[in-house]
This record gives sequence, structure tokens and C-alpha cells, in this order.
Amino acid sequence: MILISASNYLCRRAMRFPQKLATNLLLLTCLAVTQDIPGKRIPSVSMSPPPLITITRGKRGTVDLHFRVDAGFHINSNTPKSEFLIPTVLKLTAPTDIVVGKVIYPHGEQMSFPFAPEEKLSVYSGVFILGVVVRPLVSVVPGKYAFHGQLKYQACDKAACYPPKQLPVDFQVKIAKGSTAHKKNPGQSPHVHK
Amino acid sequence: MRRDPVVIIVVAMVVSVMLIAGVYKSRRSPDQIPAGPSLKGQLAPDFALQSLDGKTVHLSDFRGKAVLLNFWATWCQPCKIEMPWFADLQKQYAAEGLQVIGIAMDEASPEDIGKFAKDLGVNYPVLVGKEAVGDAYGGVQFLPATFYIGRDGKVVDKVFGLKGRGEIESAIKKALAQGQAVQAQK
Repeated sequence: MILISASNYLCRRAMRFPQKLATNLLLLTCLAVTQDIPGKRIPSVSMSPPPLITITRGKRGTVDLHFRVDAGFHINSNTPKSEFLIPTVLKLTAPTDIVVGKVIYPHGEQMSFPFAPEEKLSVYSGVFILGVVVRPLVSVVPGKYAFHGQLKYQACDKAACYPPKQLPVDFQVKIAKGSTAHKKNPGQSPHVHK
Repeated sequence: MRRDPVVIIVVAMVVSVMLIAGVYKSRRSPDQIPAGPSLKGQLAPDFALQSLDGKTVHLSDFRGKAVLLNFWATWCQPCKIEMPWFADLQKQYAAEGLQVIGIAMDEASPEDIGKFAKDLGVNYPVLVGKEAVGDAYGGVQFLPATFYIGRDGKVVDKVFGLKGRGEIESAIKKALAQGQAVQAQK
């Protein structure tokens, strides 16, 4: 009871005190300074689990994969401006009879950084979306199929760069039979021998 | 306005607690780079690395000189900014006993590393790095990372990330001064 009364008293006093704002600002500044020290944190890219997409067998569909680059970092786009920079690349392995087509990479943001204010780099920062074109063959048994792969990226902040890393990428696609499955003409089937 | 000492004490305590909590949290944060051993004041770990022309180079070959040891890579844009500065500073302080050494922590071929360095006007030895050497220097987990080594072979300073040319030059002067007395006695 005494403690509650004392804390109420102190809170009422503190609320009236104009230095509260200054204190908060000081604290925020301290935190901001800590955040800005290069190499203080390891950069990371994460992927949001994509919703289950249904693709009809024999047809083509696109799965959008949403990635997020940690605040304060950037990674090279798929088409960086120098041959020495490491591009962001998604590599996937597909289940049998499902073809993984091209990966659609967004254009990089053209950004300059304090270390080279006159040079623009092609980068991804924040959220970026990669589209994966998937085409299951007509022979695929309907059901859920898992895709596995890796996103290779190399991150930097405004003063330092970090070695290339690989993020495991896993998602599922539901393959449906489709409503317009064509009927085979028994007479033309290669398995029918007269 | 009269300042209430109770409130000041409470505010100071709250700030202190929050700062301590912040520091503690940042130390415990799982995505924080673990701090390697502090090498300042210790003998810089010796190494044997291949230069781009295939010669074996030891750090100990340069004992008696102040060494600026720069870990870099071709994929590191900030590294590209400071390498021409290092080349200039190598020229400027060579007579006083400075030796800049670049260690490329790269998967690129020695030919590509050489081309990259030549385009930037690098006039100092570039060695092909090994992870073990990075580990010996506390784990070079991001680039650029630069170690300033005195004439006595002891680490004077280490700098991670890109710094201004002025800061680099100050650190070079410190490294040149370190171990000078020892040198003079010999």
C-alpha cells in the first residue's frame, strides 16, 4: 500500500515535470546511437510464410514470396551495377513433374549511401517480393507439394558489408485436378494397340 | 522554476535502469555480433598468406614497421572508398615506416582480386585471406575491418566499418609512434 502510494506520488510529480520529455529524448538518442554503430547487429532477411496457392495441373501459376530486409540494411538486387557485387538469387528445387519456371525479381531501388554519395546502387530494402512461376505437368497427382530452396544475398549497412548468406526458403503449393481435364480419345492413346 | 530533487532522482534512476536494461538487452540479443577477443595492446597474430603473385607473406616480415592491416572484399562497397586513401597514405608515410597490407576475404579469383585492386590504384601488397586468419583477429564478421599495428608488433587500434580519412590518418600516426622508443633503443 505504501509502495503504491509512493509510486502514485512520484508519477504525479514526474508527469508535471518538463524534463520528462528531455529524458525521453536523451534515451531515444542513446538508443539510436547504439543502433547506428556499424556491425552492432547481424543483418538478416526473413520470409513471411506464403498463403497456400492452388495451381491447376497442366497450367502455370505464380507464387509470390515476401521477404523482409532488417531496418538499416540493404541487399543487392538481382542485377547489381557492378560485376563484383553479389546479386540476390533464389534457387529452388521442385518435386518431380513440377516445373519451376523463371523467378521474377523486382527492379532494385536506385539508392546512394553515405559511403559513396555520388554512386547509385541497385538494392532491395524493407519488403520485396519475388514471383516464382510454377507449372505442374498434367501427370502430377493432385495434392500438396513442398518446394525447398535458398535465397542467397549479401547485405550492407551504411558503413560496412557482411559476408554472403543463404536463407532457407520453403513453401507449399496445392496442385488441383482442374475442372476441364480433357478426355482422352481411346483410339489415339499410345497404350492402345490394335 | 524550482526543481524538485525527488523527481530529479527518480528520473535519473529511471534513465539509468533503462540504459542498463538497453545495454544488457543488446548484449543478449541473438542477432548481435559476438565480440571477439580484444587484441588492443597485444601482439598481432602472425600469419602466412599468399600474395596475388603467389609469394608467402608473414606479418612478422614487417616487424619494425607500423602496419595497417585491412580486411576487405571485392563485394564490399565501403571498402572501395577507403582503398585509394590507403594507397595515398602508403605513399605519404612510407618513409616514416608505414606498411599497408590488404587481406582479401573473398571467393573471387586472385586475378579478379588483382584487377579490382589495380583499378583502385592499390600500391601495397594484397594477400588472399583465409577464415582462420580472420578468426585469429577476433572473427572478421563484416568489412572493412582495419587493424593498426605498432612497430613493436602490438595492436594499437582496430576499426570496423568505413571511417573518415582523418580518423585513418590519426590511427596511422598512433601506430607509427607505438614502439618507436623500443625501435630507437635497438
